Amino acid sequence: MSKLAEDAVVVTGMGAATAAGLGVAALRDALLADRFCGTAWNGALPVPVVGSCPDPLPPDAHFPDDRKAWLAFAAAAEAWQQAGARDVPSDRRAVFLGTGLSSVTPEELETDLYPHLGADGRFDRAAMGRDLSRDRGAPRRHMPARVTAALRERFEAEGPSGTSFSACAAAAQAIGEGLLALRRGEADIALVGGHDSMIHPLGMLSFVVLGALSPSRCRPFDPSRDGFMIGEGAGMLVLERASSAKARGATIFAELAGVGSSVDAWNATAPHPEGAGAELSMRRALRSAGLPPESVDYVNCHGTGTPLGDRAESLAVARLFGERAVAVSTIKGAVGHTIAAAGAVEAVASVLALHHGFLPGCVGHGDLDPGLPVDVVATCRNQAPQVVLSNSFGFGGQNCTLAFVRGPDT
Amino acid sequence: MTPMTPMTPPYTPAARRPVKVAAWSLFCPAGIGEAGLQGGQPGKVPAFKARAWVKDRKSLKLMGRSVQLGVAAVRAVLDGVPGWDEVPPSRRGIFVGASPQLGDPDDLSYALKAASPTGTFDLQKFAEDGIDLIHPLWLVRGLSNNVVGFASAFHDLQGVNANYCDGRLSGWNALTEGYAAVAEGRADIVVAGGADAFVGADELLGVPCGEAAAFVVFQAADGGEDLEMGDCPELTDVESTLGYLGAAAAPVAWVRRFAGGAAQDS
Repeated sequence: MSKLAEDAVVVTGMGAATAAGLGVAALRDALLADRFCGTAWNGALPVPVVGSCPDPLPPDAHFPDDRKAWLAFAAAAEAWQQAGARDVPSDRRAVFLGTGLSSVTPEELETDLYPHLGADGRFDRAAMGRDLSRDRGAPRRHMPARVTAALRERFEAEGPSGTSFSACAAAAQAIGEGLLALRRGEADIALVGGHDSMIHPLGMLSFVVLGALSPSRCRPFDPSRDGFMIGEGAGMLVLERASSAKARGATIFAELAGVGSSVDAWNATAPHPEGAGAELSMRRALRSAGLPPESVDYVNCHGTGTPLGDRAESLAVARLFGERAVAVSTIKGAVGHTIAAAGAVEAVASVLALHHGFLPGCVGHGDLDPGLPVDVVATCRNQAPQVVLSNSFGFGGQNCTLAFVRGPDT
Repeated sequence: MTPMTPMTPPYTPAARRPVKVAAWSLFCPAGIGEAGLQGGQPGKVPAFKARAWVKDRKSLKLMGRSVQLGVAAVRAVLDGVPGWDEVPPSRRGIFVGASPQLGDPDDLSYALKAASPTGTFDLQKFAEDGIDLIHPLWLVRGLSNNVVGFASAFHDLQGVNANYCDGRLSGWNALTEGYAAVAEGRADIVVAGGADAFVGADELLGVPCGEAAAFVVFQAADGGEDLEMGDCPELTDVESTLGYLGAAAAPVAWVRRFAGGAAQDS
């Protein structure tokens, strides 16, 4: 890449907890090997495989039974330790986190909801409120900003913070917030990312009844694609300006050069059929980065493996890049759809691609759907990209794209 | 290739432009619009009829109470800005503070009944027999970003956006980031505010509760004075009057301060 501007925002720390295992190295190795990380699900629901983190997660006494919080803490600790920016004043440290719906455990269904179901099939909400008002963990666990607050406390971050909740675009949005805070000079360092786990009965059931989960396995951009594999995970990045990273000799893994967002303004669950919002989001990210479409080598697609979603994104990519077939793939076939965490896990994958010089393969993809005008990287490709876009699109139509540029140390 | 969407150059601090409030809307237990600017007590928004604000009945069925309030307040605030629809859709932003709803428990009632034929909850039966009895959009109904989703679709707001879940500060984050989006040239018009509904949760939360939605439209004030956002209002003041308002607390307090102050000034 060309000389890095002093005020460029760069990535100096990464953390991940995914179906590949705990840690960024586990994710990198899985992507390099095109490894399918799903495991069989043996519950009562018609869900054949899930992308569950296989390693034991360090539990947290303040967050009992809150697996998604544990995922966030593990990834954040890894990213923060790697960045090693201990001298930044606390009021100059920012935290932005993307999160999703909290898990509802079978115990909560049984003890919090079921007893208050009347004979008429209606809930006695007042009784439910009285019951939950006792000092029980469940209601507190459902407060989305709790994990953000805990991360602020752990990393002594008293600067700007926020909790994004924009479905599957949440983590990418949070990373974008960190970029903006650094550009504005509101902070000197930002811990950004996202976390989620919907691998619990009610979470999976929600996607089953929506028809979003594949009854077999995720096959992105394939003519037989029929949905995604549910995953869980967390991804975290430490962002700071190039000047401070260089001053303390930190490794710069990549530059976060731009962020773009848009809304489909179309439908609660279905994407715009032509991918208009997706295209606008990518164009905005490039504009924010000051880069032309011609500079992009690879798009880490949202690529859920749903019939409508892959089609809309492919059309958007084709319009943006024209006749130049830019390489695309998605890591969801490998580690599953981590829902609110997806934008962060895939941001980590994008930075890994830039830093180590490879294009992740598209695990689960067999043949290219002839109706999709894209160049799918079927298996991991030994090619060093210079500019990578990472797409995240959510229910409600919120879209977010991050633009990463290869760092000077790679 | 389609032509580039009109966009302003990347943000630089020097390129900041002044911002004005083009309109505000307020739905709170004290009333709707100017009636809501003073007084009030915890509880529901008086005389609020969602059907009067949301004509699409199919969408209305998918909205919880807080989403209904939010979508209504977005419509009300845009109604107060002549010519807002002349701004290209890609330059119309939306920033919202809202709490997740965890779905409507009533959507699970049939499945829970099916899971307990002997009077004891059985998770296996819940999964086997209850699954077909759950509304397909149960998950979607509980999403925190439903105000963004529905309001953007109704008003073709395709621009920069965010949805925040930071408890009582959610709406404040929406206001400040919405303001910044216009100031930094990332949007020409932004709808920003918050919505929440906690009526009936008094015992759960241990405080009197209310419901509310408040939104403002930020617009570039070309050649005019820049809006002074000020600090986040003291939320205990408004909540001691109107009850716990969650993500709507800051926008309600800010609008009451802004519009109440403006009324006094005039």
